[in-house]
Amino acid sequence: MDPIIGVAKKDVKTFFRERGTVFWTIAFPVLMLLLFTAIFGREIPFTANIGIVNDDKTTPIPIAANIISGLNETKVFNVKIFENKTEALEALNATSIRAVITIPENFAFNLTTGMPASVSLVVDETNPDTARLVRDGIRTFFAEFYREFNKNYTEPISVIEESSITQQRIGYKEYIVPGVLCYPLLFSSMVASTGAIVYERERGTLKKIRASPIRPLNMLFGKTLAALFQTTISILIIAVLAVFLLGPKVNWNIPLLVPIVFLGSMNGIAIGLLISCIGRSPQEASGAATTIGIVLQFFIGMYFPLEYLPEYLQQVGRAIPMTYAAQAVRDIMIRNAMLSDILQPMVVLIISAIILYAVGVLLYKRWVEKE
Amino acid sequence: MGEKRIIEVEGLVKHYGEVTALDGVSFSVEEGEIFGLLGPNGAGKTTLMEILCGLRRFNEGKATILGFDLVKDSRKVRGMIGFCPQETLLYDLLSVLENLAFSASLYSLNRKKFKERVDFSSKVLGVGEFLNRKVQQLSGGMKRRANLAASIIHDPPIVILDEPTVGFDPNIKREFWELIKTLKNHGKTVLLSTHDMYEADELCNRVAIMDKGKIVALDKPHVLKKTIGGEASIHIKVKDTQTKKALKPLDKYSHILRDNEIQIFVTNPWEIMPEVSNKLISQGILTEKIEIVEPTLEDVFIKLTGRKLTEE
Repeated sequence: MDPIIGVAKKDVKTFFRERGTVFWTIAFPVLMLLLFTAIFGREIPFTANIGIVNDDKTTPIPIAANIISGLNETKVFNVKIFENKTEALEALNATSIRAVITIPENFAFNLTTGMPASVSLVVDETNPDTARLVRDGIRTFFAEFYREFNKNYTEPISVIEESSITQQRIGYKEYIVPGVLCYPLLFSSMVASTGAIVYERERGTLKKIRASPIRPLNMLFGKTLAALFQTTISILIIAVLAVFLLGPKVNWNIPLLVPIVFLGSMNGIAIGLLISCIGRSPQEASGAATTIGIVLQFFIGMYFPLEYLPEYLQQVGRAIPMTYAAQAVRDIMIRNAMLSDILQPMVVLIISAIILYAVGVLLYKRWVEKE
Repeated sequence: MGEKRIIEVEGLVKHYGEVTALDGVSFSVEEGEIFGLLGPNGAGKTTLMEILCGLRRFNEGKATILGFDLVKDSRKVRGMIGFCPQETLLYDLLSVLENLAFSASLYSLNRKKFKERVDFSSKVLGVGEFLNRKVQQLSGGMKRRANLAASIIHDPPIVILDEPTVGFDPNIKREFWELIKTLKNHGKTVLLSTHDMYEADELCNRVAIMDKGKIVALDKPHVLKKTIGGEASIHIKVKDTQTKKALKPLDKYSHILRDNEIQIFVTNPWEIMPEVSNKLISQGILTEKIEIVEPTLEDVFIKLTGRKLTEE
């Protein structure tokens, strides 16, 4: 037999005998296609919560009520009514609504008497895509509303956009930099920790470690520290390059970012350790880590908001610890979130890390006993 | 050698599914001795050693190391053993010193003790000359020495060596044998497995011969050879055309013909050999070789199992 054919034949046979490797090789394209179909292969039923403040208390006809019901009827917006603008802006900053429309005094009078009529609009700018959809939707609604209301008047309703005090208009790079910063939480941490144990097993050096008195948990912590080091390097490089190449106008709140990124990395590393204990061969483990990493990046809101996903996939995203890390990083960098704002994701990340490590130790013990 | 029993194994049984790798193995190793497990591949030597090192569980039986139970006190036991498997378990991209430091960390060695042990490894095991070289730059012999140094960096009282010289050329093998003897001289108790009868003969104070998961004989090598391997014999090689003719004058002795070689079994071969030689000369038969051959552990193994050590 030709040696080239011989080598190829041997490798193909080996591939088919490693059932896990075959599984991940098939699972990767299947998962990717299913995921892309679920996310992009449908009419995205975009909906957004918006707030309305009605300052036109003397309106002779229920124009405000018509606006509210009209907005609700679009099925794009869910309208919440606020007593005053301050309350509405607080809700906007807390991301419970995406925009605030204020109907000013004399709005109905002006509209019915042919005078120029306007409403003010404040849009949540922290997600450029969502902001664009909301802004366009509201402008289109008021243009249509005007035409429906009185075709005789020539002066349309103006939508005057205001900036929120606490929110600045951000571009796509401001949106994407926090997401990219989370990239190492998924890939560097997971792949590094998977590789760490797989390497020992492949080299046979795990035998030496197992023959020593080191406890399984200590062994996993040692691996975690090394993976954490690698993850930190990746994060620092991304952060420095992002500052110099993109120069995003974001809030680099280091004291808050460090604990969140640390906890996110710990979760990624723990998942990597679990994968390495499940994988029967190095190829299987690295295939699993890469596939899971690539698939998870769509679920944790790194590149686009979780709301873009179908509801059932959003639920999957909410079950992944790194989603909370990614959201917290974005909140710190874009929304200037404070410690109190990120306490909940921190608690979630701490609990999930503890659970994942506990499962990791059990699996590692079971795995080494089977060796 | 002391009388103290360092390793005690009673009725150890290990199954791998349907296969029984160890079938009621019992033995003890005394302080300061080199104890050999001799047997062909698949005899259960490696399984037994890996069980003693805490790498595998067993199904039945009991084992203690320095009085500590292998299962109940597994962490303590692992700290008392230096395990050096067949393969070189070093990190290629690290230097020998870095590898030693890593191994020391597994046993929580402090800096002072580590320095002492590095000095020991440098002087006694001869790793000093390549301490700062990366493992990938070392020769096979150097790697084995570094591997041994890493295995006993924590100064364990017991050293377990699994086929320590397999694949070595004769010179390096002999060099390694000296290292093992040195370990014994430094008070270590050594348990080694081998399928090399000369190695077992050269190194071991006592040998357990294993076959199919059982110990079929256990004693000092010379006792085994004498009691089971039989007496020394006279081996005669003549020209192929004269073999038949040569057998006639030797009829009075108990003899066999194996591989064109006449083997004579007598109780006093040294006294008989001149007589045999003269008889052949008187018949005009030229001998190519005539020698007295002592029994080997291979003979012991063949007598006990009917197979050679090299057969699977």
